[in-house]
Amino acid sequence: MTASLVADLHAFAAAGVKEFRILRRYPTLFLGFLFWPIVLPFSYVLQARGFAGGNAAAEAAFATRAGTADVVGFLFLGFTAYMWISMILWGPGTALRTEQVRGSLEALFLTPASRLVILFGPAFSQIVWALYMFGLVGIAMVFVFGIDIGLVEAIRALVIIAVATPALYGMGALFASVVLRFGEVGALVQTVRGIFTAFCGMTFPIIVLPEWGRAVALALPPTYLIGGLRSALLAGADLVSLIPDMAFLLASGLFLCAAAVVAFRSTERYARRGGSLAQY
Amino acid sequence: MTATEKGPAVEAIGLVKEFEKGRRTVWQRLRGEPDQRERFRAVDGIDLRVERGEIFGVLGPNGAGKTTTLKMLSTLLEPTSGTARILGWDVVRDAREVRRRMGAVLSDGRSLYWKLTARENLQYFAALYHVPPALHKERIASALAAVHLDDRADDYVERYSTGMRQRLLLARALIPDPELLMLDEPTVGLDPQSARDLRDRVREMRTQGRTVLFTTHYMEEADQLCDRIAIIDHGHIVALDTPAALKRTIAATEVVRLEVQGLAASDPALLARLEKSGSVARQERQNGVLSLTIHCRSARDFVPAAFDAARAEGATIDHVEVVAVTLEDVFLALTGRELRE
Repeated sequence: MTASLVADLHAFAAAGVKEFRILRRYPTLFLGFLFWPIVLPFSYVLQARGFAGGNAAAEAAFATRAGTADVVGFLFLGFTAYMWISMILWGPGTALRTEQVRGSLEALFLTPASRLVILFGPAFSQIVWALYMFGLVGIAMVFVFGIDIGLVEAIRALVIIAVATPALYGMGALFASVVLRFGEVGALVQTVRGIFTAFCGMTFPIIVLPEWGRAVALALPPTYLIGGLRSALLAGADLVSLIPDMAFLLASGLFLCAAAVVAFRSTERYARRGGSLAQY
Repeated sequence: MTATEKGPAVEAIGLVKEFEKGRRTVWQRLRGEPDQRERFRAVDGIDLRVERGEIFGVLGPNGAGKTTTLKMLSTLLEPTSGTARILGWDVVRDAREVRRRMGAVLSDGRSLYWKLTARENLQYFAALYHVPPALHKERIASALAAVHLDDRADDYVERYSTGMRQRLLLARALIPDPELLMLDEPTVGLDPQSARDLRDRVREMRTQGRTVLFTTHYMEEADQLCDRIAIIDHGHIVALDTPAALKRTIAATEVVRLEVQGLAASDPALLARLEKSGSVARQERQNGVLSLTIHCRSARDFVPAAFDAARAEGATIDHVEVVAVTLEDVFLALTGRELRE
């Protein structure tokens, strides 16, 4: 490993620490976040109960389509994964935009640190949020809703999350390139989040989609993350059976990260030519 | 590619930066219409050589091209044409090497993280500047001491005054222990005491063997601090020398400022009379008062002659001010405008 790479890894960690320190100075954020991952998906659980009640036929139909009879687990996992996906989609772009608006982006670009540090480093702190959120939901699922999740299943879920991470960060980094080019990324992220909500099976099994909708869903990495988590935690699937899904996630991660690096370099050059680095 | 230990700290040859005026709409882009925007040159062929160990000032009015020049030299902007080398490294080809060796303050206190302490800010930048972790503590302590903030190192930046934030920016620029410091208008917005304090810190940088390249539109600041000064206007360097040598370029030892009242349309006659014993560098009429700036060899000889001339033209002199020649007068003589215009 070269000295420069080691120094960049250190800078990467420092960027995460910096963000986390700033986050820590707003402790009410953690308090607010205590409720969202529980209350929001629970409203979907109540909605499902409202539609189906305790009707055995309805539950059986759901089990056939979803691959599990556990409505609560199905909805909580889908929603938690979606919240994490949203967080990462916003992450690098928002971090870059925050630096731009704050006026610190040029100071960062004056340092010899790799652009990947500037791009991904601040978003790295969101891993803390992700662990917090998944931990919170895990506790609620086991102790409040009585869902049986063993250590092995939890480890499988963590592997799936790790495998999906590059693809999600790659998408987030592509949005960050848009920030350097156009300054604003909100509308684009909202559109993509809308597509993910409609197609990736956050609160429904994708089998209920029309055929063309399923084709769209199967081209989107979040579908595999959400599906993989449900299979591992609720249907007892082992990692071997999930290899095709994980291979797709890894391949798309590789492609999206490479595309993000190319796009970021190109937009950085554009900004350095036009002097728009600090403009927002 | 390696840079030499000798040679100038900064060398720019024919540096040009062009920007487009106006904007190109999305519709024009989608239709593939040719880009017909007018281009203007913010920096128009600057040649510059800053020797190692000197404090070099770039003096000019707002919009003269100072910041654009500094941004190109610090790798934030890509030159349209021309070349620039920092400590022997090319700013385009070897941008990362340039950044490793240079500290810069090109922004204001907003670019600090206000919810972090000064020490935490510097810890982050120590990592970004690739300072080995074993040296972090020592380097941060030394940078904070250099700007006299060591006793407030663990306060949040949001509790700092503007002057303290500006000093912290300087400390941040010192984190890589750079041979070259670039400062863009470092005292803008500071009260006189904070500005003086910051100038003292900059002088200390030179005694530590660093080269300082800074921009300013405060002529006193440039005069007091700089070994050499480049005066820049409309993207061109119009003069470059030591402050003393620049002041010698105008054929005067004193400057007289007059306010004349009661003139009808006879300004040319009065001016012709005044030109006999001095040189009218600037004239401006406002609310019936003619303000004149005159360069002369001796105010003792010139002022009585000016009163005689005014009297002869039926005018009165309401205000007389005699000052020594400043860089402002040099700028006025070179461009016909004042620095603050």
